[in-house]
Amino acid sequence: MRRHLGLLVSAVVTVTIPGVLAVLAILGHEHAVSATDAVSATSVADEGAVGPLPVAPAGTNLAVRNSVAGVQRTSGSPVTVFSDVAASQQAFAMHLLGLAATAGQATSYQGVEVTSQSGVDGNVTVVSQVWHQGGGLTLVRTPSGATPVVSYDTGDRSPAGVFGVTSAQVSLLGKHYVAAYRGVGTSSGRPASIIEVYRFDGSLAARFWLDARTLVPLRREDFDTADKMVSDELFTQVRFGPLTTPPAGAVTEGPALASSPESAWVTASSPAAVVASLANRGARLPGTLLAGLPLYAAASSGTGAGQVIDLEYSDGLSVISLFVQQGTLAPSMAGWQSVSLDGSRVYVSGHSVTWAGQGEVYTMIADAPPQTVAEAVSALPGGGQPGLVDRLGRGFDRLAHLVDPFA
Amino acid sequence: MSHLGTLISALIDGELAGAELDRANAHLAGCDVCRTEAAQLRRLKRELSALGEFDAADDAVTRRLLAMTHQNGPVMARPLPRQRGRRARRRRGRYVMWSAMSIVVVGVGAAAFGMGGSPSGSNEPQITPQLEVFDLQHAITSGDVPFADPSSTRLPTPPTPPTPPKAAKRTSLKASLRASAEATRP
Repeated sequence: MRRHLGLLVSAVVTVTIPGVLAVLAILGHEHAVSATDAVSATSVADEGAVGPLPVAPAGTNLAVRNSVAGVQRTSGSPVTVFSDVAASQQAFAMHLLGLAATAGQATSYQGVEVTSQSGVDGNVTVVSQVWHQGGGLTLVRTPSGATPVVSYDTGDRSPAGVFGVTSAQVSLLGKHYVAAYRGVGTSSGRPASIIEVYRFDGSLAARFWLDARTLVPLRREDFDTADKMVSDELFTQVRFGPLTTPPAGAVTEGPALASSPESAWVTASSPAAVVASLANRGARLPGTLLAGLPLYAAASSGTGAGQVIDLEYSDGLSVISLFVQQGTLAPSMAGWQSVSLDGSRVYVSGHSVTWAGQGEVYTMIADAPPQTVAEAVSALPGGGQPGLVDRLGRGFDRLAHLVDPFA
Repeated sequence: MSHLGTLISALIDGELAGAELDRANAHLAGCDVCRTEAAQLRRLKRELSALGEFDAADDAVTRRLLAMTHQNGPVMARPLPRQRGRRARRRRGRYVMWSAMSIVVVGVGAAAFGMGGSPSGSNEPQITPQLEVFDLQHAITSGDVPFADPSSTRLPTPPTPPTPPKAAKRTSLKASLRASAEATRP
């Protein structure tokens, strides 16, 4: 009888271990698949919420209109309650912003820009000297930088803009916000057209000053949902027209353009497919919507540390660039400050945040309110200790790999 | 004088009551014939009752003796404790099986927990983010100026601008933003 009992236990063990592993493997696979499905779902939901600006019954109470619009926006339904006035203002303001994007690329200018941002680790300010040759070269030099940073506007590469006003960003902005022309004012001592950008709940999100003569943006303010200013960018000095003071090093920087880092990036034709491929290799990303910002572009680059995937999320105002690399962070992170962000241990430098999670290193560069950055960090695999489910899932994956190395 | 007749047996059996019982008892007191008959009936009934009790006891004893003399009789008495033991063993086997399964599940879970603790394998590269490269890529895609190297962007040690602007002073962001906003607000 005891011998039978021993056989029974052996049989149970023999059947149980592969069974449990198989079940967990299936569950893990389903988890990965569901993450991939989330990519499609969020993509569809996002596309469903965009479209031409709706025209609605005029005379509706503003507060009611904004509340209804907010509910519709939250539920993903088309927004239908903007007034005719709002619609016409949106059309005119978007037209001006579109012209500003073109002007920022085509107009020659030089000046001093001051950018101030509220970051997750305090406020950050950078002062830059900028020279831009209309239709071509842009040179940016920060006082502490040893050499000028060079960008080159060419072909179908994402063009540099002024204060984030590019054609791509303006297009995204028109899908996620309502813009309104607010008359004229002055900035940098120059007359300017003022455009305000509102969220669908009616709160102010941003304000632009466009040069009255050239339409090049002179200033931009961003506000969070609590009406707090989170970013301010402006020209303290600016002069339009042919460059009279060639920047030092401009000539010698030219030949270096071919090997400049930006030229190594290869733009992906389908950003969602890039996210799906990352999910397949185990990087559990939230999909094509990060902290409410839709994925709109992706690129990849091969570096000395391996391949880097660049995922770009933006709603037209806030922009998050997420760089994903396989590996773990180096033990020494000189120039970075270790902080705790929503329970995760991350490293912060300026408007950049980096951390390692589940075999990937994430580096996030954000022009976005701190709460959006925190939300985005918390939506990604954490920099702290992994959760029980994640840890068990990874362990079972490795066990399954031990049992069947070819799986 | 008429006698009790069939009423005697009813009287003996205790089936009479009320006036009928009184009349029967009064008759018995004055009639020797009926009294004698009643006494005989009572005795007969007692004897029959005694016979019935003996038969029942005798039947029980008979059945017991038959059971003891039956070929499989002694063996028939043993199955009960034997069935109880088999059930207990079955139950014990079930406990062992569940314990074994629990140990296996807990063991595999503990192994997975231990193996899943390290987020990175020993062969994964250690990375220092190429911030300058990433910052430039971000600047190009976002259409904004790139931030410089990390150490130059913190407010506690602000860089010295080529042409010092108002906003570069060591003031809080809010104060500097408010001041500049008021100067240009429509």
